[in-house]
Amino acid sequence: MTKTIRKIFFLWEYEKEEAWINQMAKEGWMLVRTGFRKYVFEKGRPGEYAYRLELLEKDMHSPESKSYLDFLQETGIEVVGECINWVYLRCKTEDCKFDTTNRPLFKLTHLLKVQDFFNTIRLIFMVIIAICIVFIFILEHPEPAPVIDFFKGFCVGISLASSVMMLLAAPYFRRINKKVKAAIKELYTFG
Amino acid sequence: MNTEENIVLTEAVFYTLLVLHAPLHGYGIMQETKRLTDGRLVLSAGTLYGAISSLLDKGWIEALPAAEDSRRKEYVITPAGRLVARNELTRLHELVENGDKIIN
Repeated sequence: MTKTIRKIFFLWEYEKEEAWINQMAKEGWMLVRTGFRKYVFEKGRPGEYAYRLELLEKDMHSPESKSYLDFLQETGIEVVGECINWVYLRCKTEDCKFDTTNRPLFKLTHLLKVQDFFNTIRLIFMVIIAICIVFIFILEHPEPAPVIDFFKGFCVGISLASSVMMLLAAPYFRRINKKVKAAIKELYTFG
Repeated sequence: MNTEENIVLTEAVFYTLLVLHAPLHGYGIMQETKRLTDGRLVLSAGTLYGAISSLLDKGWIEALPAAEDSRRKEYVITPAGRLVARNELTRLHELVENGDKIIN
């Protein structure tokens, strides 16, 4: 028996998303496939699998990532989905070889990748906003011209939407910086 | 990291070097480490992958030529790796001796 759930998580809400997927697994629904805003679950034994969202440094199909994912497969960790550089991993709960996130070194590695990812998102938003603003000024004209006005409106819309997204993401971005600092501090005591 | 006489290895790296005194693939390294430590140290996939790629970069272990149609790579320690493991053992002896003297 399968069921499909449509749900939206922003890219920076990966912790929430992971928690939700693991909650579903506890209730007996195992994630087997993902798509755009789509999660496909299969009925299974409650708690049969544990899930993890991991950020790869490079695209999933690059040789580096492939060799890493092959290595994970060898240890019983499967890939059930992907989204940009994120992969959805799962393993049998009894013999799970996921890293425990409380290991300082692993934690820091993970956090730095996420921080890098967040910085890229932020940069993309900023570039979009900058381009839109430039267009809005360039397209200044005295007489009414519907096409140009429409395009200007479009630019205003996009830049506003990007600004809202940046505002929504801001607390997550700030939190990641704090977490990185805390993880570094921990490394002074625990390798 | 050029001060290789005074390096301190992580537990994951030390055990990886130990068990690779005989050729093993990734999963074998995990199993063997778990066995040696009576289940205390369970290497996780990400940590081990990181340790292996770093050890390959340093030339302390090497990958054996892969068998046909096998995606599983086997690794083994190199002479440089043996030296590093031996130095670490000396350091650990000192640690234990001093610990014994003061704590016991």
